[in-house]
Amino acid sequence: MLQVRDSMAREIVTLSPDETAATALALCRERRIRHLPVLKEGRLVGIVSDRDLRSSTPALGDPARAAALQEVLVEDVMAREVVSVLPDDPIEQAANTMRERKIGCLPVLEGDELVGIVTASDVMDALVYLVGANEPGSRMEVAIPDRPGSLAGAAGVFGMCGINIESAAMGSTREPGEEGAPKERVVVFRVDTIDTTEVVGYLEEAGYSVLWPPKP
Amino acid sequence: MSGRAAIVHDLALEDYGFGGDHPFNPLRVRLALDLCEALGLLEDYPFVSSEPATDEDLTTVHSLTYVRMVQKAGLAAADLSNLLQYGIGTPDNPIFPDMHEACARVVGGVLAACRLVMEGNVDHAMCISGGLHHALRSAASGFCVYNDAGVAIARLKEDNPGIRIAYVDTDAHHGDGVQWMFYDDPEVMTVSMHESGRYLFPGTGGVDERGRNGGVGYSVNVPLQPYTDDESWISCFEAVVPEALRAFGPDLILTQNGCDGHALDPLTHLSATTRLYEHVPRRMHDLAHELCGGRWVATGGGGYDIWRVVPRAWTALWAAVSHQELPKNVPEAWLSKWDAKSPVTLPPLMRDAPEDYPGVPRAAKIADRNQRTVEDVLDKMLPGIS
Repeated sequence: MLQVRDSMAREIVTLSPDETAATALALCRERRIRHLPVLKEGRLVGIVSDRDLRSSTPALGDPARAAALQEVLVEDVMAREVVSVLPDDPIEQAANTMRERKIGCLPVLEGDELVGIVTASDVMDALVYLVGANEPGSRMEVAIPDRPGSLAGAAGVFGMCGINIESAAMGSTREPGEEGAPKERVVVFRVDTIDTTEVVGYLEEAGYSVLWPPKP
Repeated sequence: MSGRAAIVHDLALEDYGFGGDHPFNPLRVRLALDLCEALGLLEDYPFVSSEPATDEDLTTVHSLTYVRMVQKAGLAAADLSNLLQYGIGTPDNPIFPDMHEACARVVGGVLAACRLVMEGNVDHAMCISGGLHHALRSAASGFCVYNDAGVAIARLKEDNPGIRIAYVDTDAHHGDGVQWMFYDDPEVMTVSMHESGRYLFPGTGGVDERGRNGGVGYSVNVPLQPYTDDESWISCFEAVVPEALRAFGPDLILTQNGCDGHALDPLTHLSATTRLYEHVPRRMHDLAHELCGGRWVATGGGGYDIWRVVPRAWTALWAAVSHQELPKNVPEAWLSKWDAKSPVTLPPLMRDAPEDYPGVPRAAKIADRNQRTVEDVLDKMLPGIS
């Protein structure tokens, strides 16, 4: 689930460079997609988004629009430098690339062959899976010291209470609540209990600070 | 049986509980009914008893394997590791002696209440032990072993083909079990208002959970922000519930009246008071008369401040079900009976004083956020309902 191949769409709608903007926009509308890879003789040569197509043609209602849509070709508006990923790249790497390059979609290449496409919403689905939000459970945020054994210690407290952990997502370090204290990491646990009061008490006793749920 | 209301209860129903200091303590039912009695609200309403649900009743919504597991679990010689995958033997749902029997009785109570109403013996009925809305097809979850509302709805549908049932759940937790059981059924509308699942168990109940296949539009969810107060909660309730029910046109309304959204409740983070728990039943009563000849069955649900909140909230519920005035004071007899046993000071008045619940400074922002949730719900709700 956490590699690009697990999240990508495998049925890909593609265009060739000599098709018109009208054809491309119609495809976007019909298939409810926003990004179209452009293939020439089976090789990826560009990518075009509905936004590129709209911004390079006259606005809706402009009498010149219909003619322009027939005249403008995909190769006139497509991005030629395409950032792509591999099927076995981790999904978080695809997410980071999309964020850094400010793009909403990445073609997936195996050698020269286009095998899939991964979009921001696929990444979101993977995130939902990662945090286990699809099973009944409570969400807890726990700050733990940034040192070896902390996560195991916190997880052990859940185990001691007989509570099963459905997911644990740990973030980068953050400054501690108190000056001079070691840096902390925030862990989001999803746990299979409706009643977190007892485990919150034990976590606090063991020196972890529970950020959510709040104290009554 | 006098009047047009009935209360289904039996001392045996108070066997449903997990023992020790587990928060789901059947003493809360005793405290609530004792308060009703001390106020004279049960004088004309003797308890109606009921039979436990049969295996055939339970398997309308539960798998037979699961029912067998629960039966075995209560018989001491059960293999714990095998039970865990059915949600049994966890800290939330520990095994207790004869647990199948106790759980089947609760389901039988709610089923009896529904039949009394459907057969026209009474307009309204209450079974306060019911409301175990988290129980899933093949798993216990969140203190709930068998899903009483699920079984009652499934049986009502069998007995009365074509019947339309509205299930309205105002527990602080999302009514997930009941929702999933009827997720693609356009004859059952489930409406749940609850603290947002972004933090609280079970985590579901977002606005976009609207039903599946033919049932799209017949699941309605209103996730409220943590620390939502009476004012905002009531305004969301009024914006969504009457409109949803009118569009749906139920033949019977079943409510889950958990009272764990109270500010004092230890398991949730909402800021309601007794005002909410007086308002909701009165309105459900009025809607039942407006839409379905008064046919309304009320059940309990969550509620973990068992001394200060549950007895008063569920007495207010019974007052609405039985058309009686809710008295002003908590009677001396009840206070003196329970005071010594209570770890907290018992409230002298049936209604919370607003000045004791000043709310949080962000109340306006919370209300605004809830308002936007409601607009989203209404936008998405109406097109789906025929």
